Order: sequence, then structure tokens, then C-alpha cells
Amino acid sequence: MSSGGSDLDKAIQQLRACRPIPENQVRELCYKARELLIEEGNVVGVDAPVTICGDIHGQFHDLMELFRVGGDVPDTNYLFMGDFVDRGFYSLESFLLLLCLKVRYPDRITLIRGNHESRQITTVYGFYDECLRKYGSANVWRYCCEVFDYLALGALVTGTATNLEPSEAPFADPSSQASMPGLDQDIEIETLNSNGEIMFRFARNGEVSQPSQAASAPSSSPLVDTPSRTGPSGTGATSSSNGSRGNDGGAVLCVHGGLSPLIDTIDKIRLLDRKQEVPHEGAMCDLLWSDPDEIDGWGLSPRGAGFLFGADIVKCFNHKNDLSLIARAHQLVMEGFKEMFDSTIVTVWSAPNYCYRCGNVAAILELGEDGSNAGFVRRANGDAGRKQNSVLMERGERGREGPGRRYRVFEAAPQDSRGMPAKKPVADYFL
Amino acid sequence: MSTSEIPNLKSLLSSRRGGGFQSRRGRGHNNPGASTENIEAVKDSVVQSTDHDAATSRLSCVELGYLDDPFAAAFVTPGEPMSRRLPLLNRGTYVRTTAIDHLIEKFLSTSPSSPKQIISLGAGTDTRFFRILSRHGASINLVYHEFDFPAITSSKVGAIERSPTLSSLLTTTTNPTNAIRLEISDDKTRLTSERYNIHPIDLRSLVDTNTPTTFPNLSKTTPTILLSECCLTYLPSATATSILHTLVTTILPPPTPCSLILYEPINPHDAFGRTMISNLASRNIYLPTLTTYPTISSQRRRLKDAGFEGGQRAADTGFIWKEWVGEREKERVGALEMLDEFEELELLLGHYCVVWGWRDGGPDGAFTRAWEGIEEQVGDGA
Repeated sequence: MSSGGSDLDKAIQQLRACRPIPENQVRELCYKARELLIEEGNVVGVDAPVTICGDIHGQFHDLMELFRVGGDVPDTNYLFMGDFVDRGFYSLESFLLLLCLKVRYPDRITLIRGNHESRQITTVYGFYDECLRKYGSANVWRYCCEVFDYLALGALVTGTATNLEPSEAPFADPSSQASMPGLDQDIEIETLNSNGEIMFRFARNGEVSQPSQAASAPSSSPLVDTPSRTGPSGTGATSSSNGSRGNDGGAVLCVHGGLSPLIDTIDKIRLLDRKQEVPHEGAMCDLLWSDPDEIDGWGLSPRGAGFLFGADIVKCFNHKNDLSLIARAHQLVMEGFKEMFDSTIVTVWSAPNYCYRCGNVAAILELGEDGSNAGFVRRANGDAGRKQNSVLMERGERGREGPGRRYRVFEAAPQDSRGMPAKKPVADYFL
Repeated sequence: MSTSEIPNLKSLLSSRRGGGFQSRRGRGHNNPGASTENIEAVKDSVVQSTDHDAATSRLSCVELGYLDDPFAAAFVTPGEPMSRRLPLLNRGTYVRTTAIDHLIEKFLSTSPSSPKQIISLGAGTDTRFFRILSRHGASINLVYHEFDFPAITSSKVGAIERSPTLSSLLTTTTNPTNAIRLEISDDKTRLTSERYNIHPIDLRSLVDTNTPTTFPNLSKTTPTILLSECCLTYLPSATATSILHTLVTTILPPPTPCSLILYEPINPHDAFGRTMISNLASRNIYLPTLTTYPTISSQRRRLKDAGFEGGQRAADTGFIWKEWVGEREKERVGALEMLDEFEELELLLGHYCVVWGWRDGGPDGAFTRAWEGIEEQVGDGA
């Protein structure tokens, strides 16, 4: 199997049909993947445009739906924030397909490590058993775990656009169009359904359009934590007094879980020795296990690993590292994505109807490319615009102007295409 | 559920009465209700199989140290491949079991010497009686009754006979005075003794008020807990209501103090609830009362309407984990397994509730005193 060769394309074709590839091919693939991943830093640099995805958890048919909604590789650049395996029935096919795509199109797809990419967790949550069942031995599981150890811990997306190029698409609910910001305004956020129809559109200048009733998750808006958006111009996320004008959305840090009390700069992530099993504690563990929460400072995590961190921690970290946004996964959110702390951090969740039980929708996040400043790539976590931002920080508000964000929300792949095993392996409910 | 879907119980019952479960398997010749009956028999066997599920979940919890229950293994077929449950399911089983234990313990420890009775509906292979017995010893003044399908009771009685631990408990502790002879019916579906009684009965027969409503050793005057752990929820709401009515008017006529503890799913109308209904339907499991009583407030009203005037309390199992389980115990349980399915656990726990209500005949009644300090969830907990 040579990179870019027809063997690899054949393997991709076979995996796309949700059929596992032979053990010797897996070995070769994993070897190639490690050679590739070892060259990546702990924090991979990624240029916009890119589509950021959260947990997949072996829901292969939903991963296919994700590619249908978000565009295929290599036409779309993807960044997957870990948790490819466990829980779903097709961890093996899902992970191997992503790995094949990584080897085939290394610059088009970035894979970072989630807390489930670990020997210990996969023995409890299904991937180990699945490999054993599908190959009769644990060899494939072992090969995959060796790849897990080489996955990057984070990614830094640069060159994002502040404003979205508005989608030329119909509105999901045509009557809601009137309440949406017009195309003469700078668009900060768009939410599209799986048919590519516009569900909501938010303008950068502070005007909010109410979510339409056509939204698939009407119970609560995933944007609930961005109340400042509704305030008068200049009081919150809408500030345009930022020093670095133009159309640069700032750097976006992507990590599976979140922050660590041991990490105050991105450079400290770069210094970690990542090529090992996920430890039970310490910075590397925290990056993969922590969660944002409505608390001040740091708190103990109910998960038993990682920490909880509050808005102050995120705002301080983003300011110090000149980030406009942290994108992370790790937590199921019923609406597919959830922005918190004045849009300084977002959770992206890409496993619809998680575990075939939770009834949630999934989302992916598209960050556009800053086309206004072609050729200039701003320095990652440099200090442009920091002075002005410090004023905002003192007022307890958000620092950098964030990137324009397009969320594509999608539901689980239709039941009939899913090919669920007839016999359910676990008790789903209390009976 | 629309009315047309509700099976005609009268016709089912008339063909069933006296025949027991086995006779239903035979194709009734000129029986006009035969096809419905077969569908019902399939549904019944699915409902009965839910007990096996519960027994395996219980054992998974015991083996991992969530629950202390030396009797759980006796009711799972030996040699059956052990299916270890996911951490979140173990946590849920733990919360469900300890919550009901808590309510029952409070009742048992209120005036401990006065006589008490528990009737467990659709008890299946539940080990609660044996656990109470091993905790309290022979001195406890409690008579325990279990109602279930004959198909279930026969396998339970068989398992008890096969288990040396259980049979010796039965011959010694449960029959301390030999006032009542320990007896097992020839078909092994019925067990009677001084403390413990297993009654083979299709609960739906209680809808028909002509059915004899006396059961061996069941007192009509002793303060009694009725316990339905995921049992009445499988029945059409009207049937469940009628069964409760018979229980609290005929079997336990007023003013006998009595109470009901329910463990049932709730919140069918959100995304998780809708998915739950459709997933279970694909396994032929239907929960008709879930849509009739979709919230804990509606469950409270249900208990009031059923005659439990003394009080109606409810909490979802997420609330119970947070508020009833002590910090130390939370730490102990939390350390048993690494639990990563945190958001899912919250969803799951928020979709099951414990509801308890009582009729005491006065403020000094056993139930008022037993349960006065137990915290319930305010409103619907949303």
C-alpha cells in the first residue's frame, strides 16, 4: 500500500462501504500513519478554511452523513477533534477510514486525540471488543492504539475570516427571513440544516435574529450563553474597535476536552511528551478530559479526570495566547453545538442520536478563509491587537473579534441505511 | 394510545381465567379474540423478558461493587455469559435500587415491632425480600408478597429451590414459628410461607372485580407498601388504574394504611424521550402509562387520584443521586468505574422517577412518620 497509490484508494473504497480491511493492510496503514503523525507537533498548525468536527464514536453511517453535509475529502478540509472510537457499532471502520484519508490527503485532514483514543478507555467502551470480534485477535486494536499515541493533542487554526460569506441558500422557514439580518450586514454566525437551508443568521453588529421554529432543536438555543450579543453595539462580542481590523478572525485553538491548570500558554502544550498512553493526570490528561462550566476558576471534574474551568480561565487564556476562540468537543450537547462565555469557547458535537439513544442532533463548524488579506498570514498567538483588548478584558468582556462561524446541523443517518446489528449488544434502558 | 389499540381485556380475561399462562399458548379454536390474544401473548413474553434484563443489570452492579446483594446471582442462569453493563447503566441501577431501599427502610424502621406488609407487583426475580431479611433478621414483623405471571414465578420458585442459600433462609428465617407451613405448589408457581409469598397472577385479572381477591397470608388490615418497579408502566393506563383501584379498595380496603412506590420512566416528549419510545418499540416494548403521566407532577396527581391522599411525592433519579446519596457514598460509587458518559447519564437519570404516595388515616400514621423528612423534587424539576 503506497501513499496516494491505488491500494490506499481501494482501502478507502472498501471502508466507505463499511467493510473492514484485512489485518495486514491495517498494520501497514497504521505504520504509515505513525510516520506521518510523528512529524506533526503537539499542536498542529491548520490554515482556514477548515471544517471542525467533534466526537464521532464509531457511528459510521453518521460520519457518512457528516461528509454528505460538510463536503467530501479532499474537497473540504477537515479537523476532527478526537473520540473516533467507542460506543458506536463501527469504531473500527470509522477510525480506519479517517486514518486512510489522513494518509491519502495529509494536508486536507487533521486528526487530534480524544480521551477515548486510549488503551484503557477502549477496553471498557467497546473498541477493544469490536476489534476482537471482527478480527479474532487484539492485533488490530494494538496497531490502532499505537497510532493513538502519535495523534496531536491540539490544533491551531489561523487565517480565519471575521465575517462569513453569507450562504446563498433558501431559508428553512421562509417567513423567518424578514427577521434575519440582511446581506448588507457583516454576518458572524450562520446555522444551516442538513439540506443547506438557513435556520438562523446573526449579524456582527449586535442584531439578533430569533431562531426560527424550523430549528430542529427548539427547546433551548445553543447560543444561550451569549447574552451580550443582544446588547447595544460595543458592549460585548460585537466590538469592532479591535486594533487588527481587516477581516482576520484570529487564531482558534482546537482541543478535545479543554484547558489545564498546568498550561497557561500554547507553547507549554508544545513542550509535552505526547507519545504515550493518556496519563491519569497532568496536562496531557487535562487537555483531553476537562470541561468548561459555569464556575469561577477551576473545579473538580465529576468525570474523575481533568478539571472544570470557568469563563475567567477561558478569557484569560485566550487573551494571553491571542486566541479568538477555543473549539472543543467531549460533551454531548443536544443541539450539536454550544457557545459559552461570550462566544470565547464552543463545544462541537458530531455524533447525532448519540449511542442510538440520546435523540440529539449533531453539528460541524465551518471557519472561512480570510480572503481580504491574501498572502498575509498573521502570526499565530502573536500580540497584535492585544493592547486594545486588555481594556475590554478589564470590563469583563470578550477579547478578540472571533471568526465568522457557520454551523451545519444534521440528524442521524436514516435508519435503513444504518445496518444496525439485529441483536443489541447492551441493555439500553432500565426495564 | 388510541382507544382502538387498547385490547379488549374482558374477552381476553374470560378465555384465560382458570387456564393460567400455559393454556394461552394453545390456539383457541372458535375464539374470536384469538389473533389479538396471540399478539398479546407475544407482548406478554416480551414484558416478561424485561425481568431477565433487570436481573442481569442487578448482577452487573453487584459484581462491580455498586450493590451488596449476595442473592442476585441465584436468579441468573449459571453459565450464562456475563454481560457487564456500561458504567452509566450500573449507576442508574444503583440509584433506582438504593432509592427504593431507602423508602422501604424508613417504613420498616418506623415502629419496628408493629406488623407490616409489602406487595411487590411484577416482582420478577427481585431479591429485595431476601436482602431485607438478611439485614433485619428473623425478628422483623413483615410479610412480603410478590405478584407476577406464572411463567415468571415458576422460574423464581425453581431458582429458590435450587439455591441452598435461599432455601435455607426460607426454611429457617422466613418461617421462624412454623405457624404457617412453607409450601410450594406442585406446578412450582406458588410459594407460601409465614414471611414470604409468591403469588402467580396476571395482574390484569385484578381489573375484573369478580376475580377472587384474597391471597394466602395477605392481610387486609396491615399497613402495606405496594411496589411497582417498572411494572404497571407496561399496561394500558386504564388497566393500571383499575388494578390500583382493586388493590386499594378491595384487597386493602380503607382505612388500612397503604402506600404506593412507583419507579417509572418520564419525560417522553423531549428528544431523549422520543428516542426511548421508538427504540423500545423496536424491541416490542411499549410503555402506555408514560404518555399518560409524562411528568413528575402528573405522577403526583395520579397518586392523589388513586386515593393516596396522605401525600404524593416524586423525584427523578438524577435528583435522587444528587440529593439522597451522601457525599461519601457518592465518592465510593464514583470510584468503582471510570464514567465518561456524563451528559448521557444525566439525560438517562432525568428520564426515570421514583414516586411515592400514601393513605394513612391521620397525621400519626406510619407512612407520614416514615417519610416525612424525605426530600422530593420541586415542580417538574426542569
